[in-house]
Amino acid sequence: MIRHALRLIWNRKRSNALILMEIFLSFLVVFVVATLGIFYWDNYRRPLGYDYRDVWGLEVDLRGEAEKGAGFQESEIFERLLREIGSLAPVEAVGAGFSVPYENSTQTESSDESGRLLTYEVNPVTEGIGGVLKIETVRGRWFEPGDAALAWIPVVIDEDLAHAWFGSADPVGRTFRKATANAKERRVIGVVRDFRRSGELSATSNYLLELWRPTAREATLRNILIRLRPGTPAAFEQELLTRLRGVARDADFEVRTLAQRREESFRSRLVPLVIGLVVAAFLLLMVGLGLVGVLWQNLIRRTREVGLRRAAGASRAGVRGQILIEQLLISTLGIALAMILALQLPLFGVTRFVSPEVLAAGLLAAALTIYLLTTVCALYPSWMASRLPPAEALRYE
Amino acid sequence: MLGNYLKIAVKVLLRRKFFTFISLFGISVSLLVLLVTAALLDHVFAPHAPEVRSDRTLGMYMISMQGPHASGNSQPGYGFLDRWVRPMAGMAEVETVSIFRGAQRRLSYVDGRRIESYLKQTDGEFWRVYSFDFLEGGPFLPDDEKNARAVAVINETTRQRFFGGAPAVGRGLTVDGQRFRVVGVVKDVPFLRFLSFSDIWVPTSTSRSQAYRTDWRGDFQAVLLARDRSGFPAIKRELAARLRQAEKQMPERDLFDHIYGGADTLFEATARALLSDGMRETHPEKLLALMLTGMAFFLLLPTLNLVNINLSRILERSSEIGVRKAFGASSGALIGQLVIENVVLTLIGGAIGLVLAAAVLAGINASGLVPYAQFALNFRIFLQGLGIALFFGLLSGIYPAWRMSKLRPVQALQGRPM
Repeated sequence: MIRHALRLIWNRKRSNALILMEIFLSFLVVFVVATLGIFYWDNYRRPLGYDYRDVWGLEVDLRGEAEKGAGFQESEIFERLLREIGSLAPVEAVGAGFSVPYENSTQTESSDESGRLLTYEVNPVTEGIGGVLKIETVRGRWFEPGDAALAWIPVVIDEDLAHAWFGSADPVGRTFRKATANAKERRVIGVVRDFRRSGELSATSNYLLELWRPTAREATLRNILIRLRPGTPAAFEQELLTRLRGVARDADFEVRTLAQRREESFRSRLVPLVIGLVVAAFLLLMVGLGLVGVLWQNLIRRTREVGLRRAAGASRAGVRGQILIEQLLISTLGIALAMILALQLPLFGVTRFVSPEVLAAGLLAAALTIYLLTTVCALYPSWMASRLPPAEALRYE
Repeated sequence: MLGNYLKIAVKVLLRRKFFTFISLFGISVSLLVLLVTAALLDHVFAPHAPEVRSDRTLGMYMISMQGPHASGNSQPGYGFLDRWVRPMAGMAEVETVSIFRGAQRRLSYVDGRRIESYLKQTDGEFWRVYSFDFLEGGPFLPDDEKNARAVAVINETTRQRFFGGAPAVGRGLTVDGQRFRVVGVVKDVPFLRFLSFSDIWVPTSTSRSQAYRTDWRGDFQAVLLARDRSGFPAIKRELAARLRQAEKQMPERDLFDHIYGGADTLFEATARALLSDGMRETHPEKLLALMLTGMAFFLLLPTLNLVNINLSRILERSSEIGVRKAFGASSGALIGQLVIENVVLTLIGGAIGLVLAAAVLAGINASGLVPYAQFALNFRIFLQGLGIALFFGLLSGIYPAWRMSKLRPVQALQGRPM
């Protein structure tokens, strides 16, 4: 049956080649959009590593205040700001960091101490960040107040980095140095849950939190994070800014909640996906309608063939089945061609960004979509063909 | 002759309405996508108010600093631009140079209401490079910037938010705890005109901190208004020479020893940021080629679809073609007729696509997704759309027409093509 269908397809190879090409291209379009969607969905259902709710971010620039020459260093003003914020009633916890969740900018380092080159994101933070973001320590301990006086720099790494660097060995107590000259020794004191700073939609990444100390080049951290009691009204912002101005009148402050940042980050990733989905849907609809038209037209031209089969005793179901099988075979050929192309992707290093499982799921989703589309499009023409009265079909000239 | 072809084309389209619908649907949706993309790109790259002189404006928007162990891409800082780019205003080819900061979000409270606005710090020359529509008052002057006068130009929306739409010139405005006197009110500027966009414009020297004056990396940008486009090469050469000089005096010499960047048009700057490694050079022609390839790839599927439909549609008319061939019509004449029919079809589809695109853009404008968006179709985009539709029509019409013209008349008259 299948061999016979293949011969029929081969007999009409020119018009079938065009349909095949269309299916091939449609598959690639669906594959790209589906893989992106599955990639986001797969990331979204993994744990985030922190709690963004009820957290406000405060970007500070203290240089204006320090220039006044009132005798205060930037780092002192910074300390006073943190204390002032901590003393406000709705504030549960306060901390600071170089970068904050959902922000675009990153600071990365790489090290080859494990024998292969590892790249990870580094975030200098104060001890308070743990409480603000509710970061869960799974091994060792989180930073403690006495840590600032240590001769070495304590660091906490996330599960990803621990696994990539040390495998199943216990990372706590391991030491290493930053690649730059005369850097202080760093010692791992704890491991926290996989931390995905770029948000729910991003892939997991290696992450390192380092206890921050003021230096000549960077006297303060750029971002203060504040955990508020649930239900704190948005109007607290004005009170907060008034109190901050009381400490540092000539500093620049910008308040944004992590929920706002999260929404912006989601939007910047999902808007292109939605546009892609809409365009792909229109393309598929177009291809589908075109396919119905072409199949229908083909059948009108094959009326005598169908009539002959019916006259020779083929059942209606048999005729329907023949048309459907022919279409499924063409789809399979197109999908197989596209799959061969898509399977070359790992050669180009795509798997560094997207896991092989997600790629496989994308291929599967695209194949199913195309089969569904082509089957639905072949249903009506095949039904039409099976309804032709044999006598009339044979008479057709 | 042409008139006859057109008449036949319309008749054929009306005969098989389902096929006509499928073809028109595909054509109009494909062109809709291309037209909306073109409108967005046009909005960003073509001269529009207030950036009407963008065809003779060059800018230094991003720089890259590189050393043996470190590299960093960022916007330039004021200290760098003031020292190395501002003096280029003395060149004969340059009309003026402006240095300004990117718009920043600032909060204000009016009677307990929270107002979020964008604040842009600029110099007096800014108002000569860009041409704003002033509803009231006028710009602040280079002198205001020199003396750090707390004056502000605001847009229409800000006047509405702070003063309920009443005349605002001369009145005071408190933004993020700083007080400014309004000297001018301008029409809203769309968000995607990101060089000139803001809600409130104030002199750079009113910053709380003056630390920006010595920064080499920061959040500033410089634009050079040339007297004429012919001055571009000289300006680019001069800036490159200045960068080589500046490298010798870099403040972070322990980290960086090279600065890369250039005086670019917006498109060149985009190509530099997207395609070059470390901003070393700009290849706008590569970016253009990439965009055209993307367009061609997108059109591939709709074209194939149309070719398929056209083939079916033409084969159905084999007896008509057979008669014409039997009476001596040449292959060329038949191909011409069928291609013209297809072009008519794509032009109708293009017109529908144009209407749809206008509706989609109006929808984006109304949705508030992009602040003060003013996406619109214009004659330039219309011409581009027309070009794309014609290209599309020719491409998808030629192969089926060629196939048809190969028909043997006897077979065709039998109604048994191929």
